Amino acid sequence: MLVLRLAWRNAWRSPRRTGIVVTAVAVGIAGTLLSMAVNFGMLFQMVDTAISTDLGHLQLHAAGFDADPGLEVRLRDGGRASLAVLETSPDVRSFARRVRGEGLLSSPRSRAGVRVVGVEPEREAEITLVARSVTAGRYLDGEPRRVLIGEALAERLEVGVGDKVVLSAQNLEGDLTGEALRVAGLFRTPSQPLDRGTVFLTLEQSQRLLGLGEAVSEVVVVAESRARIADVDALLEQRLPDLEVRTWEELEPLLVYMVDVFDQSALLVYAAIFIAMAFGIANVLLMTVFERTREIGIMRAMGLGRARLVATIVSESLIVTLGGVALGFLCALLGVWALRDGIDLSLFTDGLRELGVGDRIVPVLRQSDFTAPLAVAVTTAVLASAWPAWRAVRQRPADAVRHT
Amino acid sequence: MYETRGVSTRALDGVDLCIDEGEFTAISGPSGSGKTTLLNLFGALDVPTSGDILLDGERLGDLSPAALSDLRLRKLGFVFQAYNLIPVLSARENVEFVMELQGVAARERRERAESLLDEVELGGLGEKRPLEMSGGQQQRVAVARAIASGPRIVLADEPTANLDSATAERLLGLMQRLNDERGATFLFSTHDPLVMSKARRNVRLHDGRVAADEKGPGA
Repeated sequence: MLVLRLAWRNAWRSPRRTGIVVTAVAVGIAGTLLSMAVNFGMLFQMVDTAISTDLGHLQLHAAGFDADPGLEVRLRDGGRASLAVLETSPDVRSFARRVRGEGLLSSPRSRAGVRVVGVEPEREAEITLVARSVTAGRYLDGEPRRVLIGEALAERLEVGVGDKVVLSAQNLEGDLTGEALRVAGLFRTPSQPLDRGTVFLTLEQSQRLLGLGEAVSEVVVVAESRARIADVDALLEQRLPDLEVRTWEELEPLLVYMVDVFDQSALLVYAAIFIAMAFGIANVLLMTVFERTREIGIMRAMGLGRARLVATIVSESLIVTLGGVALGFLCALLGVWALRDGIDLSLFTDGLRELGVGDRIVPVLRQSDFTAPLAVAVTTAVLASAWPAWRAVRQRPADAVRHT
Repeated sequence: MYETRGVSTRALDGVDLCIDEGEFTAISGPSGSGKTTLLNLFGALDVPTSGDILLDGERLGDLSPAALSDLRLRKLGFVFQAYNLIPVLSARENVEFVMELQGVAARERRERAESLLDEVELGGLGEKRPLEMSGGQQQRVAVARAIASGPRIVLADEPTANLDSATAERLLGLMQRLNDERGATFLFSTHDPLVMSKARRNVRLHDGRVAADEKGPGA
C-alpha cells in the first residue's frame, strides 16, 4: 500500500512531465489500434464477402473434389444424403445445393469466360447476398431460360436486362453445348471478381446444360453462427464420412493466413513503438530518481529496503505507462465509435472491390486486440524502470542524504 | 577513511565514545572535523574502514546492508538538516512512514501519529503537505517521525541550521521534553551554540579526533 501510494503521488508530482509521457503512450496506442481496426475491418469485410457471396460457412463435396474440382466429381444423388442430416441439425441455419462449371457467355457484341453457378433460387437467397444485390431487373424467379449476371459482366458484354445471351460450356461427356438465355437481372456485390465473371441460373437449367442429370457439385451450409461452425463440421464429418466437408477457412486458407499475418504484424508494431517509448520513460524516471536522490536517501536511512524502493520505482513506471495505455484504449474506442458508420472509400472502390471490400470500411476492434499492447506496455514499463531502479538502490544512503 | 579520486582522507581517527541511554549529547566542531561522518556511522548509514561501532552490543560492521536497513528501521530515528520530509506525503503520513515500514496496523499508526503531532504541537495540521508548512513546523514533524517508531537513539544532523533562533529554541525545547518524558536518547551534530547550550554533554571534534568531551550547560 505504501509503495503504491508513493508511486502514485510521485507519478503526479510533475503533472506536465507525466502528462507528456502519458500522451505519447496514448497517441502511439490509439494510432496503432485505430490503424489496426481499419485493417481488420477491411480484412473481416473480405472474409464476410467471401462467405456471403460464395463460400458459406461450410461446403460438402464428393470425395476427390479437393484434388480435382471438375464436373466429374459430383454428388450423384443430388445431395439428398446430406440434406437429411442438415435438416435435422439445430446448429444449421440454412443450406443450398449448387452446380458449378465453366463456360463462355456471348452477346452479339462480345464474349467472356465465366463461372457457371446453378442455384436453388429461394435457398440460395438465404445463403448469399446475391439476391439482395440485384440492381436492375429481378432475381431468378423460376422463369425458364433466365440468367443473372453482374453489372461489370453486363457492361463488358454490352447487354442489359431482357437482352439475349448465349451460354456455351463443355458438358460432363466432354461435348460442347450451349443455350440461348435472357438476362433476368443485374447485380452488384462487394466482390468485383464475382460481378465480372459469374453467371447464375437455376439448378435445373445448369444440370441440363452440363449434362449432370440430377447430380450437383456441392451443398453450401450456413451455421447459426460462426461459433457453431466447428460443431456442424464435426457432425457432418461423423454422419457423412464419404463426403469432403470443408469449412470456409479450409476453402480460403489465404484469408486465414492474412488475418494471422496482421495479428503478428500488430505485435511487431507495438514492440517497435514501445521500444522507442521505453527510452523516453527510462529518461523521465532517471531524471526523477536524480531529482529525488536526497529524498530516496532519507527514506533508505529510515529503513526503506531495496526491494520496496525498486517496487516504488517500477510501480511509478507502470502507473504512467498504464495511464497512457488506458487513455490510448479510450481514444481508440472513441475513434471506432465515431467511425461506426464506416469510412467512405468510394474513391477507391474499384480497387477495393477486387479484394472483396465494399465502399465503406467499418473499423473493428476485438477484445484480443487489447491484449497485445497491454502485455507489451507492462513489459516495457518494467524494463524501462530497471535502470533507474538500479541507480536508486546503488546510492549509499550516507551520500544520498547529503545530496543537494 | 574516504577515498575520492585516489586521494585517501582520514575523516575520523582514534575516536572512542560511549553514548549511554537517555543522553542529550551534542557533537560539535568546525566544518570537516568529522561530525557528520561520526553521526553517519552511529546511524548505520556508513560502515567504518577500521574500528567497531556497537549498538546494544551488536557490531554494526558485521551486518549486511539489508540488516543495517532493518536495524535503522527498528532502533534509530533521524532528523536531518532540511528537506527532511517526503513531500508527497502529508505530515501525518510522514509520521506514519516508519511505522508503516515496521508493519504497524493502520488504525494504530494513525492514532499514534495524531498523538505525536499533538505532542509536537501540530495537532490539526496532520493533513498538510510539507510545502504548506513552515521550516519549524517541518522540523517538528521530522522529530515526531523520528520518535514514532520508538527508537533507541535519535540522530539529528544540524537540525536547527535552517531555522531562526526562536524556532530553533522551540524545537530544542521540544526535543528536551521528549528526552525527559520518553527517555529517548538524542545525539546532535551541530555548530549551533544554541544546541550546545542545551546539551547535557558536549563532544567537540577537531581533525577527526575528540578534542573535548565535557558536561554541557544543559546538564
